[in-house]
Amino acid sequence: MTEYNYKELGLKCGIEIHQQLNSTTKLFCRCPSKLQGSRSPDFTTLRYMRPVLGEMGEYDEAMLTEYSKGMTIIYEGYNDLICTYELDETPPFECNPEAIDIALMIASLLKMTVINELHISRKNYLDGSVPCGFQRTTVVATDGEITLASGKTIGLEFVCLEEDAARKIKTENKNQYFRLDRLGIPLVEITTKPDIYTPQEARDCAERIGLLLWGTGKVKTILGSIRQDLNISIENGSRIEIKGVQKLDWFTPLINNEISRQIKLIEITNKLKEKGIKQEYIKEDIVDLSKELRDTKCSFVNKGIKSGKKLFGINLPGFNGIFGLELQPNRRFGTEVANKVQEISGLKGLIHSDEDLKEYGFSEKEIDLIKNKLNTKDSDCFVLVLGIEKTVKKAMDVIIKRTKLAFKGVPGETRRALEDGNTEFLRELHGGARLYPDTDSKAIIITEDKIKRIQQNLPKYPWDLMKKYSEQFKIKEQSIKDLIFEGKLKLFEELINIYKENPTLIITTLLETTKALRRDGINVSNLTNTHFSDLFTSLKKNEISKEAIEDILIKLSNYPNTNFKEVKEQLKIIKLSEVDLIKLIQKIVNKEVELIRKSEMRSFSPLMGEVMKEVKGKIDGKIVAEKLKKAITNKLEELKK
Amino acid sequence: MSRNQNNEKYPGYSKDVIDILEKFGVKIWSIIEIKTRTTEYKGILLPRSKFSEPGFIEIKLDNGYNIGVQLSKDIEIKILGKREGKYNVPEKSFPINKKLPNIKLFGTGGTVACRLDYTTGAVIPAFTPGELFSAVPELADICNLDTEIVFEILSENMKPSSWQKLAEKVEKEANSGIDGIIIGHGTDTMSFTSAALSFMLKDLSIPVVLVGSQRSSDRPSSDSALNLINAVTVAAKSDLAEVVVCMLGSSSHKYGLIHRGTLVRKMHTSYRHTFRTIGNIPLGKVENGKITMFQTDYHKRKKSETKTLLKFEEKIGLVYSYPGMTNDIINFYIDKEYRGIVLAGTGLGHTSTYIFDSIKRAIEEGIIILMVTQCLNGFVGMDVYSTGRNLTQLGVIPGKNLLPEVAYVKLGWVLGQTQNPDEIKSLLLKNIAGEFLEREIPIAFNYNADEL
Repeated sequence: MTEYNYKELGLKCGIEIHQQLNSTTKLFCRCPSKLQGSRSPDFTTLRYMRPVLGEMGEYDEAMLTEYSKGMTIIYEGYNDLICTYELDETPPFECNPEAIDIALMIASLLKMTVINELHISRKNYLDGSVPCGFQRTTVVATDGEITLASGKTIGLEFVCLEEDAARKIKTENKNQYFRLDRLGIPLVEITTKPDIYTPQEARDCAERIGLLLWGTGKVKTILGSIRQDLNISIENGSRIEIKGVQKLDWFTPLINNEISRQIKLIEITNKLKEKGIKQEYIKEDIVDLSKELRDTKCSFVNKGIKSGKKLFGINLPGFNGIFGLELQPNRRFGTEVANKVQEISGLKGLIHSDEDLKEYGFSEKEIDLIKNKLNTKDSDCFVLVLGIEKTVKKAMDVIIKRTKLAFKGVPGETRRALEDGNTEFLRELHGGARLYPDTDSKAIIITEDKIKRIQQNLPKYPWDLMKKYSEQFKIKEQSIKDLIFEGKLKLFEELINIYKENPTLIITTLLETTKALRRDGINVSNLTNTHFSDLFTSLKKNEISKEAIEDILIKLSNYPNTNFKEVKEQLKIIKLSEVDLIKLIQKIVNKEVELIRKSEMRSFSPLMGEVMKEVKGKIDGKIVAEKLKKAITNKLEELKK
Repeated sequence: MSRNQNNEKYPGYSKDVIDILEKFGVKIWSIIEIKTRTTEYKGILLPRSKFSEPGFIEIKLDNGYNIGVQLSKDIEIKILGKREGKYNVPEKSFPINKKLPNIKLFGTGGTVACRLDYTTGAVIPAFTPGELFSAVPELADICNLDTEIVFEILSENMKPSSWQKLAEKVEKEANSGIDGIIIGHGTDTMSFTSAALSFMLKDLSIPVVLVGSQRSSDRPSSDSALNLINAVTVAAKSDLAEVVVCMLGSSSHKYGLIHRGTLVRKMHTSYRHTFRTIGNIPLGKVENGKITMFQTDYHKRKKSETKTLLKFEEKIGLVYSYPGMTNDIINFYIDKEYRGIVLAGTGLGHTSTYIFDSIKRAIEEGIIILMVTQCLNGFVGMDVYSTGRNLTQLGVIPGKNLLPEVAYVKLGWVLGQTQNPDEIKSLLLKNIAGEFLEREIPIAFNYNADEL
């Protein structure tokens, strides 16, 4: 991957971190704050969203784009988990005090100034992800900082407390399905200042804030409970918002590829300027080519036209070579346009003259005919779109608008992070104009007393805990960090109180054993904290040996409702006494006397296997080995006599 | 701390705060920078709700969020500029198509379509045909629309005189050849108005459709545009000539139901499909521009002259019966010289026997007492128990299946029409506007509108 001189480029990044809080109920209603996975819904409700007029009496461009998609939204809900609030049928209830307290605690850890009087605002979303069309949100604190492990301090602008949106399940034709279980779960949004100047810093900052959040024990620590967005700009470029950075490892490729995209887009602008091409040259003249290309050898166009679709073309003067220019690895300017067309009109794929048209099956003659009809010269580029006439016209409109933006460099927009490190158009940037006061709720006063009480009870910073535990229990700091990111720090603290003897065993069990079992397809998500505390209590009481841990966890994962005593009995892992062990070993040694005579001490290995088969999990393997060795030695001596 | 003043320059601000603001020369809409002991904020000073806490100022930050900042004496404020919100609803001229019916929309104060003043959060209603066309362009495919604001009041502030004024407006439009009328109305008292218009308009020649919204039109999920489109469809295309309510029939944005004006009631504080026809199934539904009637027994469009019978007796009361009620309640109405009382009785039409004395006195003094049921569904049955028989013997008039609000409106209207006790009784028991049911069909009580 290309490395850049970030300083020279004037790279500035800011990140937004969204983290679900672990409150019992949702932010504005008292529904349980629980996701339902793939459980099928009890009911569906169908809605349409309409844009509302914005400031200065105009529609927000991003909202119009959403509306023009003509989507039907279908909400899926559960009778036991969703109330009329989530369905946008009841005004909000009191803002959850537990969630406010957690947000204030986080703000205090980030050294921010708490707002005296919180005002709930509405942030408009037309994509259907919130049934009322807006997310309720409030800024809780401003102006803080976080110091990275490297020593650099990043400024923080805001902490907002807001409702999570509904989960998108699928899109079928023009129907978008959302599930309402996630809607309304409280989350904090933390926004940094644009103080981040390299991809590594962005990654470090996201990790540092994540560590702080997960270290509080008051946030949800499951997959998807933390989400990152990234704001990037370079000099002469524009601010681009990248949504959905799911993994820390994505930061560097995403930032580098976005830099590449912005540099290339600026290059295009310069190229057009050099060639003397002007924006006005792009005309809205689209030409219906369906009649001329009715019998084309390009089979999908041929089939399309015969099934009633239309093929339209447009000539873009001076654009020869530009649609084929690579912006990001394997994504050309043409891809950029096609992607926006698909996002807005729903139409997939366009054909442009920078591509090898013969590969589509067009003949030389047909290409000439198209050029002729569209009046395309060698320095020009033409674009073809196939589809239902109405959609094609919408697509052409997007093509014209996006092409015109090429004269302005980088259009500011919101893009979606892709797994390969690239991004694609998601929507226009929303302005501050989509925020307006929530007329359904009262302002919330945060008293000095409350702030003081929260600040006096702040949890320790995770990096301090890492250091403390590492010294105290002689374990690696990284292990504590891993525990935090697995959401298991609290559990570790609980278990270490039960079983001080072997901190490493607790860590191995919590991190490695469960991971290995998960890999083997065991449903370890069934394991509760009680299961683990029972396990280590049993170890402490010497009722089981550590060899039994894996089997017990498997059993508990498969039958989470059986109690621990039953599991022990079922697995027959009542601890064996040494006397009984010696008796058992003696029996086996006596039985295998021929083997011992022949193989002498080499018989240890097979005999150990045989003994372990009987005693696995009931007694420590080390003791078995010791006793067995002794028994074989004795037997050999006995035989020699 | 000083309470909030009614200060025009600083709406919603308390005296101590106004003193500080004046000291720094700060006005509403000033862009300011505030330094508190711990931090700094930059934003626009906003007007404040008069119900809010004293001692704070409210500003809009650059990112659009509003916050409240507690002012202390040592605060420092710097003025950076001014930015006042001034907004207009965009207006496009409503296209006229001679082939389409002409519809008149009367406004009463509810907002069917509106836009937002983001700075204050206030809702600016869209109302002229041009504004409506810009907000709901689909309307132009259904009709030619003209609009008129009759009054601008909250629906809970409507009075019988409001109904009279509306009835007169309808009469005038109907007789001058309009094809249908829509009345934009707050949902709280919509069924009072629909009942009142049903009684006041005689020989109505066209549909009169009341419509409102349960989610205000400042939110993307609002039901207002869809309700408006459905109501306009009914007014323009249906063969009805009655006063009806047309609102969404389910929580989904699928179809609107058409309810007879004298059998409809708001049944939920906040659901979109709050309106239900009580005692019967709705008259019909409207979905994607298509009207389907569930019933055949309704007044059809005709070339008649629409007339009005406007007189209304305002000295009537609506009393909800409850255990432990005392004679004081009824005596109050007698002493205040009321002419009629609707009693929303329990069950089949009962009150406690302990208030018989006052009821007897009221009737002796010529006050009409009309009994309906607070069960809302079903008929009163005053021959079933002795309490009912006693009440009828005292002279209480059983109001059959009338909804309490409809009974209230009907009683006021009847007393406005005649003073003659026999005529009063006979008018009260006559089916004037479809308010009485001949028979209650079994599905009426718990119909599922999706399955009609």
